[in-house]
Amino acid sequence: MQLQIPPAWAGHESVFRPSSEPAHAVFGLFTFMVIVSVIVYVVVIVATFTAVRRSRDSEATPLTQERERSSHRAVTAATAATVLILFAYLLYDFGVGRAVAAPRDAANALHIDVVGHQWWWEVQYQDTAPQRLLATANEIHVPIHRPVLLDLSSNDVIHSFWIPNLNGKKDLIPGHHNDAWFEVDTAGVYRGQCAEFCGLEHAKMAIVIVAQTPEQYSAWYNAQLQPPQPPTDSLRLAGQKVFLSAPCVMCHAIGGTPAGATMGPDLTHVGSRMTLAAGVLPNTPSNLESWIADPQRIKPGANMPATYLSRADLRAVTAYLEGLK
Amino acid sequence: MSAAPLPDSAPLTPLSADPDAMAELERTWRSSHTGLWGWLTTTDNKRIAKRYIITAFMMFLLGGIDAAMMRLQLSRPENHILGPDLYNQFFSTHGTTMMFLFAVPMMTAMGLYFVPLMVGSREVAFPRLNAFGYYTYLIGCVFLYVEFLMNTGIDVGWFAYVPLAGPQFSAGKRADVWAQTVTFTEIAGIIAAIQIIVTAFKQRAPGMSLDRIPLFVWSMVVVSVMIIFAMPWVAVGSQFLAMDRAIDTHLFNPAEGGDAILWQHLFWFFGHPEVYIIFIPGLGMISSIVTTFARRQIFGYAAMVLSLVATGVLAFGLWVHHMFATPLPQLGESFFTAASVTIAIPSGVQIFCWIATMWTGRVRLATPMLFVLGFFIVFIIGGLTGVMVASVPFDLQVHDTYFVVAHFHYVLLGGAVFPLFGAFYYWFPKVTGRMLSETLGKWQFWLFLIGVNVTFFPMHILGLQGMTRRIYTYLAATGWGTLNLVASIGAIVIASSVIVFLVNVVASLRSGAIAGNNPWDSDTLEWATTSPPGPCSFPDIPVVTSRDGLWERRDDVPVMTGLRTDRREVLVTTLHEAEPESRHMLPSDSIWPLLLALAVGGAFIGAVYTPIGLVIGTIVALPIALGWAWPKAPTGPEMVDDVR
Amino acid sequence: MKPVRVVADVSQLPDVTFGPRSTTWWGTIGFMVTEGLTLVICAFAYLYLRKNFYHYPPEGTPLPSLGVPLVQVLVMLISIVPMVYAGRYARRLDVDGTRAALLIALVIKLGILVLRWYEFPALNTRWNSDAYGSAAWIVMGFHTTLLILDVAEDAGFALILWTGHARAQTMSDVVDDVIYWYFTVAAWLPLFVLLFLYPRWT
Repeated sequence: MQLQIPPAWAGHESVFRPSSEPAHAVFGLFTFMVIVSVIVYVVVIVATFTAVRRSRDSEATPLTQERERSSHRAVTAATAATVLILFAYLLYDFGVGRAVAAPRDAANALHIDVVGHQWWWEVQYQDTAPQRLLATANEIHVPIHRPVLLDLSSNDVIHSFWIPNLNGKKDLIPGHHNDAWFEVDTAGVYRGQCAEFCGLEHAKMAIVIVAQTPEQYSAWYNAQLQPPQPPTDSLRLAGQKVFLSAPCVMCHAIGGTPAGATMGPDLTHVGSRMTLAAGVLPNTPSNLESWIADPQRIKPGANMPATYLSRADLRAVTAYLEGLK
Repeated sequence: MSAAPLPDSAPLTPLSADPDAMAELERTWRSSHTGLWGWLTTTDNKRIAKRYIITAFMMFLLGGIDAAMMRLQLSRPENHILGPDLYNQFFSTHGTTMMFLFAVPMMTAMGLYFVPLMVGSREVAFPRLNAFGYYTYLIGCVFLYVEFLMNTGIDVGWFAYVPLAGPQFSAGKRADVWAQTVTFTEIAGIIAAIQIIVTAFKQRAPGMSLDRIPLFVWSMVVVSVMIIFAMPWVAVGSQFLAMDRAIDTHLFNPAEGGDAILWQHLFWFFGHPEVYIIFIPGLGMISSIVTTFARRQIFGYAAMVLSLVATGVLAFGLWVHHMFATPLPQLGESFFTAASVTIAIPSGVQIFCWIATMWTGRVRLATPMLFVLGFFIVFIIGGLTGVMVASVPFDLQVHDTYFVVAHFHYVLLGGAVFPLFGAFYYWFPKVTGRMLSETLGKWQFWLFLIGVNVTFFPMHILGLQGMTRRIYTYLAATGWGTLNLVASIGAIVIASSVIVFLVNVVASLRSGAIAGNNPWDSDTLEWATTSPPGPCSFPDIPVVTSRDGLWERRDDVPVMTGLRTDRREVLVTTLHEAEPESRHMLPSDSIWPLLLALAVGGAFIGAVYTPIGLVIGTIVALPIALGWAWPKAPTGPEMVDDVR
Repeated sequence: MKPVRVVADVSQLPDVTFGPRSTTWWGTIGFMVTEGLTLVICAFAYLYLRKNFYHYPPEGTPLPSLGVPLVQVLVMLISIVPMVYAGRYARRLDVDGTRAALLIALVIKLGILVLRWYEFPALNTRWNSDAYGSAAWIVMGFHTTLLILDVAEDAGFALILWTGHARAQTMSDVVDDVIYWYFTVAAWLPLFVLLFLYPRWT
């Protein structure tokens, strides 16, 4: 089943709506720091303008030892206050840092490997049973109230994985493995964009997280593990033939068919995804048609070339892919 | 041997009172050639520094145009003014221009002009090297923008992370152009830094002991030391990148044992001190302006100097805070959080001392002082968000988002550009002999203050709403459109304030009020000489007897005499107490600095296209260097036999 | 306008100085710090990348040979001797002595450059083999640029002295050049240990 894309991403991609364990802790720290900052700022600015106002109007009073001593006391007091405030910051910050370092219940975590590519996200669900490993792309489903541990790496350049509502970002660096975690507490759809400049289409490399109840998640996961039903109607059959004979098959894999390439995103259940082209387009037949016909118009520089298909072939392969739910 | 004290029976005439000596002095120090040749061969630090300042300001304008294009593209979602390739070039050029070609050269140029004057010296320590540094910098500026116009503009950001900037993912010459642009600015920066240190330490006016040095000079000395310890990291790193790209080394190639994170360490070990290199001169300028316009010495001189030094030292301990999102050990990261928070303390001390100074002084609100107040309003916001991003968990939310863009524009505009404009208004009379218009100055100040806040404050929110950096467009559905439009409108306000400034400069050069030596009634030595200073800034060697400088209550002006008038000489003094120690002869005008800059420039530009370019350039440069070093016949006893 | 009063006459101060009294000495120190730091950075890269390998050198790459490099260290230390004399003669403003010492030093330094040509292959790896090879070549390469520039500077001074154009300031500059050579040799010693001995110890 295909979930509905939210009418707008605003709020689904925001630090202001923390929806996971680490995000809540960080938001608390942020709120504290903002309040302290505002108070400090007001105090310093008022002192500055008072100093200017007073001294503009004053007569030339001689600088006595007494006045210098009281200035000395004031500066010392202000410095001491600064040190104390900063120390409080550090203590609170280190506490939050320890709390968000790892989930409490790591043994129960869901493990997902995310590999960055120019300009899409490869997602590999890990499982102890090899037949339950799942490969997908650009959309991650997770159950709420269960920690999710991500192993992050990259095949080409540095990317960064960030879902503002859920976790602090971590970089995907070729030659290294990095990790991130979150435990979502509110079901919903969340979005994040790649947060490390990675080339031409860095702006259009987004990922969608769908947080569901454990039952919904299991249902989704089991459906994803099944190869899609072979097409029965003539349009989708024709579309499958187009897919397997066109350049598509050089880069994309679809479970249950001979297509097994891993250069591009896995398309086994592409019809069930909310978005296309890494979070850029809502997944509709007309968008999919436009994308296949000329990806360069939507994401100039993307590694997917334009495929020259007749209108009929284009409609057929679109129908085929949209049916891969 | 020390200066001979005078017997009471034979008082000497000061040089300034001897018209024949003054005429000869003028002839000696004036450029010996006229026209284009004179322009190309001058070694007068004031003329070289003015060129630096003008060139750096032009880079500021070009960098601003880059930013205007970016803001235009981002003003609406899914805009089509700039495609991704062009946008990537614009933001990369904006960053590289502002950080490498505007900010640091502008600050060192202000130092090259004013440090010698403020310490009472006639020239910088190495005048020809100074000219060489400027020409090298100029070649770098021209190089970057010519390449931009030829579609070989840099497009990997000002930080050129690998592997994106490496041979596999950046085809063509763009990343090589970046690497060598950095080299030009590094050479110029280090040369300027060495000049400033040696001039400030060895050529001060007699009596200007270390505890009588103006705070601006201290700030430039701290910055110069920082430049020497910071810039080599990016220079070497950029050569590593150039080699990975050109001759197949593997320093950053993970497939052969190289490491992408190595680049980040190399770059940020330079990159963090770099922003303090830009910021600390601003602190020095504020001290100069506040002293003059509050009409008292800055409160807490020792604390101010120690704060400058502490800021400079601590700046080298923060670099990993740019790398919190990489897989580094958490314990290490905590150290950098603590250091990043600690550096707020010396800045705080300076702010408190300035407030105490103003509180106990008598403030005049002329335009330079307005820009100082602008510093308080804008920089402190940036400083507070800076302490926030020192926190690792919070930084992981806002790193690489527009929140950070807001933070660093607040600290750089507030901490460097506001003081810089204040310094322009303050020192324009000294450099040109005319006052800038106060009315236009107030207009500029208010437009700039409003523009900066309207442009950059919304970016805090945009970052927290998920807007990442370095994106050429964004979906309408993200809801980022409104605040982006507001920011773009703010950019128009900033642009108009800069236009007001340019109008002010042009109009004032023609018809501004004549300034006189000391129009602001300030205390430091640059105000003791004419506006503008003559080719020989100080015919009489000033003598300093207290930190109060020109404000000291005396009935006479003590000077020293005895430097020759038939060749260019400066007085060299001791490090601590500034006692006269020797006379140093300076070279006269020379074409060699320009020629060497062309050879070295050719070597590095050639290196972009072929590694042999470096070899050929070096072979050409060596005989030019010999020509530079070849001793020329000076006047008077100078042959070895005579001296022996 | 307050009257101007002359308090001292500096005309009898010397106009040529040596060592820390001379501004060019300070400039030389500045360049030494800069270039020294450059070498430190190269060494840092070499050590940093060690963590990406099980061994330095990596399996399949032989240890660097010690023959030529040891001779090089010896020759470099020997080259200090004529430079010490050059410095002494320069301080005494003895043109002939300085010239002779510099020429002897120059010949030895040309030998050093020849030895350096054979020192690169002694690393037993290529700059484009892997990160270890790149780092090793780069450390040696940056130091070699210092060598080349110093030899060029020496040749320049020798020429100036030979053609009788020496001024007193030239002698002060020769002393700075001597100090620069000390630095160039001193900088090589830890780098020699790093490139040729460290892989044997780990």
